[in-house]
Amino acid sequence: MSIRVDPRVTHELAQYGGDTVTKCFNCGNCTAACSLTTQDSVFPRRYIRYIQMGLRGKMLGSLDPWMCYYCGDCSETCPRDAQPGNTMMAGRRWLISMYDWTGLSRLMYKWPAWEVVLLLVVAAGVLALFTLPADFGFRLLAAHPEARESVNLSYFAPKDVVHLGDMTMALVLALLLLSNAARMTWYVMRRRPSLPLSAWLVELRTFVFHGLTQSRWRECKTDSTKHWLRHVALVTAYGTMFVLVVVFLQWFQVENTSFHWTSLLGYYATLVLLAATLWIARDRLMKRDQIHRHSDLADWLFVGLLFLTSLSGIMLHLARLLDLAMPTYIMYVVHLMIAVPMLVVEVPFGKWAHLLYRPLAMYLTAVQARAHVPQAAPGVATPLPV
Amino acid sequence: MAEIKDRYDGLVIGGGIAGMQAALDLAGQGFQVLLVERQPSIGGIMVGLNKVFPTLDCSSCICTPRMAEVAHHERIHLVTYTDVLKVEPTNPGFRVRLLKKPRYVVESECIGCSLCELACDTMVAHEFDYQLGARRAIYIPHANAIPQVAVLDPDHCTFDGACARVCPKDCIDFSQMPEEVTVDVGTVIVSSGLQITPMGAKKEYGGNAYVNVMNPLAMERVQSSNGPYGHVLRPFDGKVPRSIAYVQCAGSRDASIGVPYCSRVCCMYALKQAIMIRHELHDTEVTIYYMDIRAFGKGYEQFYRRALAEGINVVKAKVARITEVDDHDLSLRVELIDEGGRLAEIRHDLVVLSQGVIPGWNSADVLPITEARDHFFEVPELATKPARSTVEGIFLAGVSTGPKDIPDAIVEAGAAAMEAAMYLDRTKEARERASVAASLTRELPHTNGAKRLPWKESLRVFRERMGGVTDEKKIYLKNDKDARKAVRETLRSGSRTIPELTHELDMPGESVMWYVMALKRYGEVVEAGRSGDYLRYALKEVER
Repeated sequence: MSIRVDPRVTHELAQYGGDTVTKCFNCGNCTAACSLTTQDSVFPRRYIRYIQMGLRGKMLGSLDPWMCYYCGDCSETCPRDAQPGNTMMAGRRWLISMYDWTGLSRLMYKWPAWEVVLLLVVAAGVLALFTLPADFGFRLLAAHPEARESVNLSYFAPKDVVHLGDMTMALVLALLLLSNAARMTWYVMRRRPSLPLSAWLVELRTFVFHGLTQSRWRECKTDSTKHWLRHVALVTAYGTMFVLVVVFLQWFQVENTSFHWTSLLGYYATLVLLAATLWIARDRLMKRDQIHRHSDLADWLFVGLLFLTSLSGIMLHLARLLDLAMPTYIMYVVHLMIAVPMLVVEVPFGKWAHLLYRPLAMYLTAVQARAHVPQAAPGVATPLPV
Repeated sequence: MAEIKDRYDGLVIGGGIAGMQAALDLAGQGFQVLLVERQPSIGGIMVGLNKVFPTLDCSSCICTPRMAEVAHHERIHLVTYTDVLKVEPTNPGFRVRLLKKPRYVVESECIGCSLCELACDTMVAHEFDYQLGARRAIYIPHANAIPQVAVLDPDHCTFDGACARVCPKDCIDFSQMPEEVTVDVGTVIVSSGLQITPMGAKKEYGGNAYVNVMNPLAMERVQSSNGPYGHVLRPFDGKVPRSIAYVQCAGSRDASIGVPYCSRVCCMYALKQAIMIRHELHDTEVTIYYMDIRAFGKGYEQFYRRALAEGINVVKAKVARITEVDDHDLSLRVELIDEGGRLAEIRHDLVVLSQGVIPGWNSADVLPITEARDHFFEVPELATKPARSTVEGIFLAGVSTGPKDIPDAIVEAGAAAMEAAMYLDRTKEARERASVAASLTRELPHTNGAKRLPWKESLRVFRERMGGVTDEKKIYLKNDKDARKAVRETLRSGSRTIPELTHELDMPGESVMWYVMALKRYGEVVEAGRSGDYLRYALKEVER
């Protein structure tokens, strides 16, 4: 097998935010400083070496960036100030764009303005949905003047229609994400010896466990509990919201000013989203932790869109409870013009894709570990092994 | 020695190997040179080293003749224990303000007999041995010190007059005060030397908390025949180490501690120390963890090969973390890059941090020359005029411009002396025009012809001036006496190893080790055989 060397890779990584790769002189401090590195996944140095040597294929088939939770211990102690933690971050962005077959990820990461354009395009589509069709949105409302006096969403956004739209969106997102995940799996596993089906099945528990708990983060030594708790809270919040909106819209969307108990779940989710996004924004501005030192547009959009989604959701909810008919309808559209682009653009193509790739990476690592027989490690000359 | 003139052709700042060479080379061309050293002895770092690389010559053996030559040169005036306060250009030449610190011993009268030191009953951690060895509150700086003149440390003095009582020359003078002197010089050579990066600079290495993590200069002392232990032993418990690690780049080439440059000597001194350890301890493993081995000088690559041939392990890995494990051993966390990136925790019983080289003197307000970004002195024409500073007439030698080894420091000192001589020649007429008066000689310290007070009277005044024996000092002195007494009494029933003593005494291992070594140095304790990896120590029969 020949190895193809692509000298443009370091330049390419810089476009994804990894502009300090060439500073590294491969001393290995980062790897040894990392509390997540194990005998099965030795990083960051090896991945940085792949980048420096232009080994595109190795980079593509490596899961190392997904193993890193960016505690920053490596960057704090790097003798070259080469920011290995940030390089792993850039590696994740690069991998997201490589897994994505549509090319939209690459477009957004290389030229961040495209991300804004795509978000605006989807938002315009949402607006069009509410203004153009005759039996939906504002034209439906025009036919029912009484709904303009008092809130009645069945004359503006009938549940069954919205529900159908939700399910369609969810299906498209899932297909996009799954096709990318399949490509990731192919890149990682194609050069490995084939594994018994049992290995693939047994380790599914790893996938589910890490997808739900993100517990690997807690193994980081620096500030991990704080960041992990915040992240888990955030995940439960938007998970709750997503399920309420996509699956249980029949109950969650209340037609008039009445109150349904599912709103309580919505309150939890909204509060957590607001608090967590504000907290993250503050940390990104303060730049005290390594993980928050480098914020690019994608990071800010992630936080900003989540915050605005929650805020517009609250305003929609209040307007409905106060029976302010037109404000309710307008906020309904505004809310969707933020939430839908966020989901459509960020989940399959942007930063949110990590919600699938991280547990998948843990899963693939575990599957691989089932394959190889542990070897006796060659001993370094020392008379006193620990 | 106890006098100073008010005019010299050249001033050399710093009496390490570079400064001594510069002074000799300038004086050798016929100029009158003032050599100022802030320590009580000249010799700098080099006189404390065990061997030099790559020849393995005994360092003090080739340094002391140079020191003696400086001290006895007819055109070199040596002033030790003196700080340079200010150097101002006077066009032509420079006006220099010096501060002569009090030794409390009359330099011209002291014969270096050590009776004062032996009479003093206070043990103090010795700076020359990097705190591993002991001295007294009045002491001859070290065996090879020049001048061989005692110096009194008022911070630990008990003011009991024991030293003055035994001094055969009655030359202990408690009335000495710090004294400023101004001299005019034609040119200045700065050879202000180095210090190593602080032990605690990298918190990943324990931040100075682990007793068995040593600094490399302390290791030089430990390896020296006149060092604090006389053997290579661990500071914690006196164990003969069986597995020693050298952590390279522990204070250089590291942006995270603000020292991004290479210190140029650490690879070679680590190899040298490793070789010397193996010469003494044949079955002790020495492992050097490195990022690159930089063996660039004449004979250095061969020296590296020799180290490999003599069984030194070299492992390409930057040590990321040191943790103390049981028995005060150390565990080093590394990525073994040459083994495909294998992660490892490796245990050693002694670790030496190859700390980096940083400027030895904070001279910001003293000299009119500028520093470069690395805080060494700026050399504007580095490629062609390596000894010139940013001010005409001030020249640079040795490590003042950046880290270098002994041969390079000596070569550069010669270059600085040659530049200084040419500058003196160029400015000769202007200097002669400027000064009409003849050069005056003054006593140092100034006495104005007054007779010294009897020591008992000056001691009383001295004691009052120093605020008597403070409570803090009382505690120190009591602990010191109690510890020695406890060690002595335990040893009365027979010889012990350090761990055995530690077990019987309620003291940390490193303190027991320190006191036993202190008592050994001053002749109360002797080595008495060996038990496994530990030497035994016994009381010496006191002859009276």
